Amino acid sequence: MTDGYLTKAAAQRLADDLGEPGWLAERRTEAFDLYEKLDYPDPKGEEWRYTNVRGFDFERFSSPVPGGAAPLLPDDLAAKGVIFEDFRTAAAEHPELLKEHFFTDVPVDEHKFTALHAAFHSDDILVYVPRGVEVTMPLEVARRVSSGGSIFPHTSIVVEAQAALTFVDRFGSEDFPDPSLCASVVEIQAGRGGMVNYISLQDWGRTVSHFQTQRFTGGRDSTVRSLAVNLGSSFARTQVESVLKGEGAFSEMLGLYFADSDQHFAQRTLQFHDGPHGTSDLLYKGALKERSRSEYSGLIKVAKGAQGTDAYQANRNLLLSDESLAHSIPQLEIEANEVRCTHGATVSPVEEEHLFYLMSRGIDRVTAQKLVVFGFFRDVLDRIRVPGVRDDLSDAISAKVEGDKRLEVAV
Amino acid sequence: MADNLLAIEDLHVEVEGKEIIRGLNLSLDKGEIHAIMGPNGSGKSTLAYVLTGRPGYEVTAGKVFYKGEDVLDLAPDERAKRGIFLAFQYPTEVPGVSVVNFMRTAYNAIHSDAQKSAMAFRMYLQEKIDLLEIPSELVDRYVNQGFSGGEKKRNEVLQMAVLEPELAIMDETDSGLDIDALRHVSEGVNKLAGPDVGIMLITHYQRLLNYIRPDKVHVLMQGQIVTSGGFELAERLEAEGYAQVGEEFGLSQEALAELKQKEKE
Repeated sequence: MTDGYLTKAAAQRLADDLGEPGWLAERRTEAFDLYEKLDYPDPKGEEWRYTNVRGFDFERFSSPVPGGAAPLLPDDLAAKGVIFEDFRTAAAEHPELLKEHFFTDVPVDEHKFTALHAAFHSDDILVYVPRGVEVTMPLEVARRVSSGGSIFPHTSIVVEAQAALTFVDRFGSEDFPDPSLCASVVEIQAGRGGMVNYISLQDWGRTVSHFQTQRFTGGRDSTVRSLAVNLGSSFARTQVESVLKGEGAFSEMLGLYFADSDQHFAQRTLQFHDGPHGTSDLLYKGALKERSRSEYSGLIKVAKGAQGTDAYQANRNLLLSDESLAHSIPQLEIEANEVRCTHGATVSPVEEEHLFYLMSRGIDRVTAQKLVVFGFFRDVLDRIRVPGVRDDLSDAISAKVEGDKRLEVAV
Repeated sequence: MADNLLAIEDLHVEVEGKEIIRGLNLSLDKGEIHAIMGPNGSGKSTLAYVLTGRPGYEVTAGKVFYKGEDVLDLAPDERAKRGIFLAFQYPTEVPGVSVVNFMRTAYNAIHSDAQKSAMAFRMYLQEKIDLLEIPSELVDRYVNQGFSGGEKKRNEVLQMAVLEPELAIMDETDSGLDIDALRHVSEGVNKLAGPDVGIMLITHYQRLLNYIRPDKVHVLMQGQIVTSGGFELAERLEAEGYAQVGEEFGLSQEALAELKQKEKE
């Protein structure tokens, strides 16, 4: 195997190229050993059900070339002590902070993809919002990958007590001739009364495989909101876990996915109520057309001490073709006795009757489908608090529906 | 024939392999209101759907001319663009889509050369709301979701007012309405009737015709128009029942027995 691929030597070289300190560099090689040792996730287990990645060929991808644009922080925020920097800078300027928060919530050995991520993490971002500071404008980063390449972006966000932040992580590329890989890890902590809104928008080109693990830890009275969007890639697996640690923590988890052609999206969510009187509200909605597939598997877990938990979970799927398929598996694991948990899952086709009603008013078929699809996504879109993101998603949904028209003409 | 707004010639229609319309002839002109009366299962709704192009209704013979053009090969939206409108018996819910957004999309599709902005459309819509005395909050709700039976039918009439069709087919617009709602809906239709529109009222009962006076009444049985007349025909149907009239017009014994059975029920 040549050195340009995902080898231990390549991981070491990456550390050298980035001039990483010893502790950070060592983690890479340790992680690589773990990656080699770990088996592929078991498709019979709940977490990877319907998503068989056995035999996923990692050797195709060349190792990451760091070089994402340096994060830009407005001066006034810097003056307030907000940190928004890549790991290279963070390792030099804020090593303690990085040590404390890098790979502390997501275990390196969680599965093969997190271990590989820990060996090759690149284009990493550290965001720190000090106590009481409210960042009003969203901070954003855009992730890029090249044809045949790989990227392992790590996003670490710490929002201290009474502080607030909205962060938008964008993953996007054109369709490449060769397969590419993205394996991302997101670790987010909200302190007492802190508020964080994390949005990940995945719109990779069709030759990219995307694996992402997001983990949120909410302190007392914190508010953690997340939105996970899957539109692009050939295969995407997104795992979103919210740990409501502090008393009275609130977590909103939104998901929106729209698959077409042969796309395959897998979503795994966890609402873990570890502290008492927490509220979690999850809504994942997906539309599927052509031969696409989706899985949703969501667990509400309530620890023994988490009395007064209020947990809500809903997964809704809209099928736009007879060939598309959606699986939905809600699960509950409750150890406390004073809790309220509600969950529901639906998979429904677009009714011809609905389309006929709209068409009988002069609306063409594609526009009628658009109305139905937008109507379906309405409650998720309405809850997105960043107008730019809402607009981008609306455009993307329109384009996805219109794809049908082109296909019909071609056939 | 070409002068008629609508001319149906020897129409035969099958649904799932079963012939429902069996040689139907009918013509209707602008400015006229025609009532199509018939018992359940006579083909009333099938007629409404085949005129508007609903999938699943197969025309095996005959023609339908609208303003001289054979429209049977046109998609539902193309027929709507030419001015054909159907007020549904069971209007469909469209979750997440507001009435105002739906109607503006429809209006702009039909009037593609004179599209209205959101603001301009809102004002235009308000005129229609005022004309029909419909609660304005209705249009900000999602299409038919959580609407009462009366609200659904009034919403259909509002759509008719907004889209200004030349041929309006009203499929059992009276069904499921209490007397107040029936009066409201009928008043609305009367306001929209006039020299520029032909209206086809499809109904089982005469009571709607007490509010909306038809120029002609047609009796539909077993997929054919068996007789036509004026308002007095509707009164007779109400008084004597469909079986009596059917017998007179040579319905088969089998069909009559079926009708009588239904009337008993």
